[in-house]
Amino acid sequence: MPDDLTCEPPAPGDPTWGPPVPDDHTWGPPVPGDLTYLYAVAREPLPCPAGVGDTPVRTVTRAGLVAYVSSVPACHFGEEPLRRSLEDLDWLAETARAHHRVVDAVARATTTAPVRLVTVYEDDAQVAELLERRATAFTDVLTQVTGRREWGVKAYTTPPEPSAATSPGTRDTRSTQACAGSGGGAGQGGRPGTAYLHRRRASLRGREQARKQAVQRADHIHRALSALAAAGRRHRAQDPRLSGRDDIMLLNGAYLVDETRTEEFTALAEKLGGDGVEIRVTGPWAPYSFTVMEPA
Amino acid sequence: MEVPPPPRWRLSTDPDTVERDLTRLVLTLVELVRQLVERQCVRRMEQGNLTDEQIEVLGVTLMRLEEAMGDLCDRFDLTPDQLNLDLGPLGTLLPTQ
Repeated sequence: MPDDLTCEPPAPGDPTWGPPVPDDHTWGPPVPGDLTYLYAVAREPLPCPAGVGDTPVRTVTRAGLVAYVSSVPACHFGEEPLRRSLEDLDWLAETARAHHRVVDAVARATTTAPVRLVTVYEDDAQVAELLERRATAFTDVLTQVTGRREWGVKAYTTPPEPSAATSPGTRDTRSTQACAGSGGGAGQGGRPGTAYLHRRRASLRGREQARKQAVQRADHIHRALSALAAAGRRHRAQDPRLSGRDDIMLLNGAYLVDETRTEEFTALAEKLGGDGVEIRVTGPWAPYSFTVMEPA
Repeated sequence: MEVPPPPRWRLSTDPDTVERDLTRLVLTLVELVRQLVERQCVRRMEQGNLTDEQIEVLGVTLMRLEEAMGDLCDRFDLTPDQLNLDLGPLGTLLPTQ
């Protein structure tokens, strides 16, 4: 990493991106100290929108592969400053939007392998070297996603009634409910502690059962969709706080689907919903979930 | 010159909030232990190796502990949902529902 960083450290929340990049530099050799940001790998060079920091995107060609890259300042994207930058959610959102804009444009036009967000190399030569070294892997990935698009399928279920929950501070613990436990039997009158434990047992069992059912349902949906898709992958279910919904996410799946089977796939996804489970289909997306390679 | 707001995801060690956050952390750990003990009691009750008298004493104790937790939450203006830790890929420390 070069030591002679010429620009100021990133001001948090500052939307500007260091010194403006002169027009004549973008297609020539990059300014010393700039780094090369990699968006995606494809087989052909195509025009595409501006990248991170509104700088033009150029291409690096090697071994029959085309890498889409742009220059980024080392003061934001160097190893050390990047760690700070990544903690700034506004900066991250801005970068992710630019990344997606480029990847999406290329993916619409040609078969594309998107690269993980914020993949940065020292210069174009290093990217060219990467293309050559991992040519087989990239080619395999591109073959796998040719003629296919990624679809996201999320399944939600509504959380059980709060009365069944055993959260702390549940305020009705004293009300002597008519023995919620199954095998509680009679003779608990005047034994509030025993009644309490029986209620707890019933509630824990109910919750365990609900959890098992939810897991089975999610497995079933995922298996059915994967059978129709060329590939399927499950991501970690998102925290309800992210989406602002109270519903529990059962399934957060990504599926690589032949373009000719799109209608069949979405119809199947709809059919798997109902009965307390809501299905949300998104897409088509660039095949993010099926092309990310570790840039080893 | 205006001081820019700190980036999100940074902890701010404001003395006003730090006390409340520390309380929250302590209460979360107490609640974890309470729930573990409660589950253990239910398990032993199911196995039938507790006398009726023991079950009653344990039940009353756990019930009072739960009430005490509720009172503490009220005093520090916390809701039960806030007594939890996100452990990333492991999920949350306490069951969420």
